[in-house]
Amino acid sequence: MATIIFLKHVLDYLGGVVDSPPAGAPRILSHPAFTGILWGVLAIAIMMFSGQTSRFIYIDF
Amino acid sequence: MIFNTFDYYILFLLPAALAFKLAPIPWRPWVIALSASGFFVYFSLRGFGGVLGALCLAIFIWECAVSRLYRPGALICALGIVQSIVLLVIFKYWNYFTGLVLRGPAAVRWHWSGAFLPLGISFFTFEFIHYAVDRYRGKTVPGSAGEYLAFILFFPTMVAGPIKRYQDFLPKLRAADATLLDVRVGVTRILVGLTKKFAIADLMTAFTNHLNATDIARADRRVLPLWLLAYGIKIYFDFAGYSDIAIGSARLFGIVVPENFDWPYFRSNIAEFWTYWHISLSRWLIDYVFIPLGGSRVAPMRIYANLIVTMFVSGVWHGAGTNFVVWGLWHGMLLSGHRIWRTAIGNPSPTTPKLIFGWLSTFVMVNLGWAFFCMDLPTARFFLERMFLG
Repeated sequence: MATIIFLKHVLDYLGGVVDSPPAGAPRILSHPAFTGILWGVLAIAIMMFSGQTSRFIYIDF
Repeated sequence: MIFNTFDYYILFLLPAALAFKLAPIPWRPWVIALSASGFFVYFSLRGFGGVLGALCLAIFIWECAVSRLYRPGALICALGIVQSIVLLVIFKYWNYFTGLVLRGPAAVRWHWSGAFLPLGISFFTFEFIHYAVDRYRGKTVPGSAGEYLAFILFFPTMVAGPIKRYQDFLPKLRAADATLLDVRVGVTRILVGLTKKFAIADLMTAFTNHLNATDIARADRRVLPLWLLAYGIKIYFDFAGYSDIAIGSARLFGIVVPENFDWPYFRSNIAEFWTYWHISLSRWLIDYVFIPLGGSRVAPMRIYANLIVTMFVSGVWHGAGTNFVVWGLWHGMLLSGHRIWRTAIGNPSPTTPKLIFGWLSTFVMVNLGWAFFCMDLPTARFFLERMFLG
C-alpha cells in the first residue's frame, strides 16, 4: 500500500498537482531539464492526438 | 472548445496573465475583469448564443451591482439567490419544463426556439448563490466591486469551474504574484490537461459514438459494457483534463484555485467517490443543499432523504433531461444504501479483500450510472436491458 501511495504522490507531482516531489523520490524529477523533457513528451502527445472531435463534455451541457 | 483553441492561449490567457503581473496591485482585479469580459464576449460570439449570448455579460454587471447591497441577515441576499436560480431556470430548463407541463398548441406557443445557454451559466450561478448565502450568514467580507467582478468573471474557472469561494479567492487575488514555480507548475498542468483530453478522452469517442439505440440493437451484447466503460474513462479524462487546464491557467496568475479530482475511480466506496469526484461541486452541494436540509444531524430516515434530495439537485443541475434526474437519484440511492450498510456493520478495520471488493463494486455502480448520464432515458433503459437480459 505504501508503494501505491508513493507512486500516487510521484504522479501528482509530475502532473503539477503538488509543487514538490514526495520524500524519497529520485532527485532528477525536480531538475529543470527533466521538466523540459516532460513538457516535450506531453507536447508531442498533444500534437499526435489533436484535431479530433473535441468538445468538452462539461461546457454548456 | 475554448481551452483547446489557440485563441484562448494567444488572445486571452497569456496577455491577461502578463498584464496582471505587470499591473499595479490596485488595478489587478480590473485587469481580470476586463480581459474576462473580452473572453466572454469573444467566445459567446463564436458559438455560445451569438450577440444575445455576448449581451449576457450584463448578468455579471447586474450581479455585481446587486451584490454591493448584500449585508449579513439582509433580505436582499435571498432576492439575489432567487434571481440567480430564475436566470438558470429560464436559460437552461425553459423548454424542458414547458415540454413536460404543456401539450399541443400551448407547448408550441411557449417553446423558445432560439434558446441558448450563456457561457458558463451552470457554474457562475453556483458562485452567485454562494456569495449571497455567505454574505447573509456573515461568513465573507464584501471586498470591492472590482474584486467581486474579478471573482465572478475569472475566466480560467468561469466556464466550468472549479467552483470557487469568495473568502478563499479574495486573499489569493490580493496576494497574487506569479513566480517561476507558478509558471512551471501552471504550464505542466495545462499540458497534462490537454494530453488527458486529446490522447485519452477524445480517443474514447470511437467507442462512445456507438451509445445509440441503433448500434446497441445491432451489437454483440458482450461489447456493451466496454462501450459504457469507455464513456466512464472519457468523462473522467475529459473533465479532469479540463480542470487541469483551468487550475494551470489560474496558476499563471499566481492564483491557486480548488482541486476538482483526486483519483476518484480508485476509491473503495461511493461516499469516498463523491468526496474526490468533482470536489468543488460536491462541497458546494454539501454546504448549500445537504446541510441546510439538516445534513447528518437528523433522524436516519431524514438523512437518507437528504442524500437523495441532494443528489436529485445534482442530477437536475447536470442537464435538462429526465435521464439526468434518474442519474442523480441513482447516486442518491447508492449513497443512502452505503450509509445504511455502514450503520449496520459498524466501522470494521479495512482488509485488502474488503478494499478490493469495495473498489470493484463502487467502480461498477458508478459506471452503470453513466448509462443514464450519456443516453436519454429510453435508450439507457434499452441499453441496460440488452446488457443484462440479452
